[in-house]
Parts: sequence; structure tokens; C-alpha cells
Amino acid sequence: MTQTSDQDERYREAAGSFGPALQRLARASEADPDRRRDLLQDMHVALWQSMSGFDGRCSLSTWVWRVAHNTAASHVDRERRRNTGKMALDDIAHLPDGRSVAAAHEQSDAIDRLNAWIRRLKLPDRQVMTLYLESLPAAEIAEITGLSPGAVATRISRLKAQLSKDFQEQTHA
Amino acid sequence: MPDHDPFQSLWTQQTAEPFTMSMSEIHSRASRFRSTIRTRNLTEYAAAALVLGVFGWMAWLIPQPVVKAGAIFIMLGTAYVVHALHRRGGTGKSLPDGMHPLADYHRGELVKQRDALASIWRWYLLPFVPGMLVFVGGVSFAPETGLPLVARLIQFGTAAGFAIAVFAGVYWLNMRGAKQLDAEIAALDEARRG
Repeated sequence: MTQTSDQDERYREAAGSFGPALQRLARASEADPDRRRDLLQDMHVALWQSMSGFDGRCSLSTWVWRVAHNTAASHVDRERRRNTGKMALDDIAHLPDGRSVAAAHEQSDAIDRLNAWIRRLKLPDRQVMTLYLESLPAAEIAEITGLSPGAVATRISRLKAQLSKDFQEQTHA
Repeated sequence: MPDHDPFQSLWTQQTAEPFTMSMSEIHSRASRFRSTIRTRNLTEYAAAALVLGVFGWMAWLIPQPVVKAGAIFIMLGTAYVVHALHRRGGTGKSLPDGMHPLADYHRGELVKQRDALASIWRWYLLPFVPGMLVFVGGVSFAPETGLPLVARLIQFGTAAGFAIAVFAGVYWLNMRGAKQLDAEIAALDEARRG
């Protein structure tokens, strides 16, 4: 088997297992549907390119998350520099309005609200939160991000509290 | 961590949008990416070739030895900048890999950008200064102009002052960018310490 076909095979395996998760990450990173599609394509290309260097020293999951998050972070950074001082209209329209989680489940835009909330976070928080939402254990989040397990646990706890507060406080108001 | 966080359930309930990307599309997009980088590099070399051509033509055509020397210094400065650009391999981002933790990759990119901005005066601006001063001096003080000394000094001061102001502006903007990146690096380091 040639190196390219090995690379293609490894990519197919990764894309098959993580395709939907990459879509969720793209949605949490980019609000505009066209740019989101570009970002998703960039993630897949970056994943394919990276597979020539995958040597199994970390798990495939850790590898895929690192490549995908690095691609997303570069995209967000580029967009932020391009749109300094601006805020996308759809972000403003979909800021969390404090509905309870149960009610939010019933709302067709609940997921958009959650994604908009994530997009407002700074980089390390955004990465930790999306990995937590994918139900990854704190130890794996620490391995992926390079933060200490303690720092990850503290962040998750703080972010969850903030998220609950933002979804609920207007209901009580 | 609780097993049934409602936000985790909400998150995983997202409907996947229709998305397919064939292997040939991936190969062709990767190849387009490489070709964009090649084009960017070629544009930089073409711009340098243009500067070399224009000043080489001036050095050949203008009889004034000081102006000729200024043009040659500018050509040498351009050649040095091209060499420095080539050695640095451009200032673009590295391809994301899965080898290093996110914080390491991100920090590495920030440091690379910060260092490029902070040192730009040394390898991108300074090499042009001697040639520019000699060239402008040669033009201003050429005996053929017949202008009085004061007028020549004013001419030289205005041209050199304008060029220095442009250089200083570029320097200031880059140092401001480097300082912002320094703050981002410090924030990232703080986050890693938890």
C-alpha cells in the first residue's frame, strides 16, 4: 500500500468516526453557514494532511480533536482579526436569553443559542467546553488541550455554572 | 462530572447537516492550498525582482556616483530581505497537526507571529535605510541641480523625513501588534497554570 492510500484509509476511518462531531465543532466556531462549510472542509483537509504523520503515539481521538480544534482556532483567529470590533448579527440575535434548559430543549433554536454562547467564549474555554459537551473525560480533555487536569476540572465547573446561569436567569427575572 | 448533563444531551442532539467530501475533493483542496502558498511566495519574489530591476536600471543609467551607489545599496537591501524571507519560510501559519496539545500549538503560533512582528524593523526595514539615505542624498546634493545649499538641505530633509516617518509608522504598528500578541501569550500561560 502506498503512503497516500494509507493516509486516505486512516482519514476515512477518522472522518467516519468523528464526522458529526466535526460538524458540531464547526457550528460552535462559525455562525455564518457559508464560512462554516469552508471551515468544515478545511478541517477535513487538515485531518487528511495530518494523517501522514499519525504514528499512534496518542489515540486517534486525541489526534483528531487536536487537528480539528487547531483548524477551528486558526479560522476564528483569522475571522476575529478581519472583523475586529464587529459582531455578527446572528450572534446578537441568538444570545442566550435565560430560558431554562427544559424549555430550551423544546425550542427549535436552543442549539443555536448554545452555539452562540460557546462562540462568545475565549479560546481555551471554548475548547474545553466543546470537548466537555462531547462527553470526553477531564483527563482526555487535559491531554488534548495541554491544560492540567485540575485546571480543566475547574474550568468545566465554572463554565457549566455560567451556562446554567445565562440560560436561567431571565426566567427568574 | 455528572453522567446526564442536559447541555451534553442538547449538544449531541444536533442534527448533522448534509456534508460529503470525496477523496479527490480533499486532494484537490490540499493541492490548491499548497498552490496558494507558492503563489504568495512567488508574488513576494516578483515584487523584489521589480525593485531590483528598477534600481538596477537607475544604477546603470544615472551617471551621478552617489545616486548610483544609493541604488546599489537599495538593491543589496532588497536581496537581503528576500534572503531573510526565504530563510524564515514565510510568516504563514503551520499546518495543524495532532502531535502537540492545543495550548502548545497555539502558543507556538503566537510566539512565531510575535517574533516576526517584533523583529521586522531589523530584517525588513533597516536594510533599506542606508540605500534610501544615500539615494535621496545623492539626488538632493547633485551638483547639476544648481540649487542653493539651504534648498538642497530642505529637499533632503523632506524626502528623508517622509521615508523615516513611513518606516516609523510601520515599526510602531508592528510593535503594537507584537505587544498584543505578548498579552495573548501571557493569558494563555496563565490559563495553563489554571
